[in-house]
Amino acid sequence: MSEQTLTAAVHPGLTELARASWPESTADAEPPQLSGFVLSSFSPLVAEVARRCLTRVYGQPPADPARGGRTAVIISSCSGDAVTAAEVARAVDAGRRLGPLLFFQAVPNAVAGYVAARWELGGPVVSLSPEGGADPVGESLAEGLALASLLIRDGDADEALVIVAEQAADDGGRDRALAVLVRSTERTE
Amino acid sequence: MTEPRPAAASRRHDRRQVVLTGLSAVSAYGRGNQALLDGVLAGRPAFAPVTRFDVSGRRVRVGALLPGAPSLLDELLSVVADACAQAGLSATDRESTRLLLAVHGDPDRLRTTERTADGTARVPAMRQAPDDVERRAGHGTGAFAATVAAKAGLATGPRTYTSACVAASTAVADAAAMVAAGDAERLVVAAGYLVDPDQFALFDAGRALAADGAVRPFSAGRQGLLLGDGVAAVVVESDEAARVRGAQVLAAVHGWGRAGDGHHVVQPRPDGAGLARAIGAALDRAGFAPEEIGYVNAHGSGSAQSDAAEAAALLRALGPHARTVPVSSTKSLHGQALEASPLLELVTTVLTLRAGRLPVNAGFLEPDPECPLRLITGEPPQARPAYALSLNAAFGGANTALVVGV
Repeated sequence: MSEQTLTAAVHPGLTELARASWPESTADAEPPQLSGFVLSSFSPLVAEVARRCLTRVYGQPPADPARGGRTAVIISSCSGDAVTAAEVARAVDAGRRLGPLLFFQAVPNAVAGYVAARWELGGPVVSLSPEGGADPVGESLAEGLALASLLIRDGDADEALVIVAEQAADDGGRDRALAVLVRSTERTE
Repeated sequence: MTEPRPAAASRRHDRRQVVLTGLSAVSAYGRGNQALLDGVLAGRPAFAPVTRFDVSGRRVRVGALLPGAPSLLDELLSVVADACAQAGLSATDRESTRLLLAVHGDPDRLRTTERTADGTARVPAMRQAPDDVERRAGHGTGAFAATVAAKAGLATGPRTYTSACVAASTAVADAAAMVAAGDAERLVVAAGYLVDPDQFALFDAGRALAADGAVRPFSAGRQGLLLGDGVAAVVVESDEAARVRGAQVLAAVHGWGRAGDGHHVVQPRPDGAGLARAIGAALDRAGFAPEEIGYVNAHGSGSAQSDAAEAAALLRALGPHARTVPVSSTKSLHGQALEASPLLELVTTVLTLRAGRLPVNAGFLEPDPECPLRLITGEPPQARPAYALSLNAAFGGANTALVVGV
């Protein structure tokens, strides 16, 4: 990670404490499987970038209790879990039985809950879905950071883990994800 | 996890007062606020066999649905227009007003909907595209919100919440925070869910639906939730902006709070500590003691663990007052409208407070020792408490609390 990304003001009033991406190298082909989540890369991507980002801060779970209890988890994704949604629709139309795991992962909150439980984060849990466009990762990050700024200024969180996950738009594309931990610049200084 | 220190919530004295000047809802009881109020105060649950789509393969086959095949886009545009008209917003006012929308996704993204000429019926859903194109389509949620904003004449750049069953209440809390802080003078919060075959199948597969066809929040013998249609919109603004325009204030949003459980993927924290922190933050912003809350519209999903955790949260946050304050979950009447349910419940709460009666907690069989609350059963009582608490909780351990007054 470059020094610049560590210190850059990512949003007015926010300071970036750590960042992680998917992919970060050519070794990043498929995110590690996530127990309890099936078929789709969406939740594993969220869990993996969150793990990388928080590991850079805390080494291993849980987060420092003095901070984790007031850290928000924000998932921002233009694509949402498109693979799970399509799989559910296909199964329903074909009259196939759905597994109970699909019930849980049909909303992005479920993997947010996984991250929050794993790292013992007790701030607000919010999922957003911006419109997208040429740069969905950038747009989702901007939207997530704007919400992080609001939650922190409003007082329900001191820090926010903003997680972006965008599933590939076609078979030639790659899934992309990003996690950024931020806090108020005022508190950092 | 350990208890974090209390939220340093923005306090009442240093922020602008937040009010609601327009509200409108659609539910299984019909379109418009009067239909919702009449249905809720009649105390009769709106659940009936589902005919909108094929449920023959499902374990549970009932829900609270409008007749026919309503369009989510059309219903959203209708409630937004009603709420804006009630608030007295001009076309120019609307152009500068941002939309915060809570939805699961674009309902027509994966399937086309065919309607008969009168627009009331639908032939079975059809695939819109081959499988490989479906993947490219994504949820289309943000684009759907942009369409709603454009067609409603609202500002560009809506924000879209997909946080499951707290999506709409999170949007209300955020709108209130933005108005209170002076980030925005006014916002429209809208939310919509119309019962659909995919979510119905998922909830059925997850054994979350009540097999006995009734939602019985906090009651012994409760078996789960039932889905219901819900589409609603509210205009959230500063009291000063409302006064300048001469708009009638329908309710004040005194407090709001959001907090996470940090406990489990989908199960609530049994001790209710996360929801209790959200309640505490909302009371703190309002500057209220627990005793000032005269009614609680609970999340009350009707699920065994969730209701017990919520009762624990109320006892934790309100102390002895939790055993005496009237509580009901209007999901027992209009059903669980997922992302939109909190807004339907907030509108219901405001309408019933203004009508001077409290909605019942339908489906009650007998007390559950794990839920020692004063549930409203029988006839809706005459009461006009000044302040009410509206609670919601969701997968991921997400919790919200709103304090409103009329």
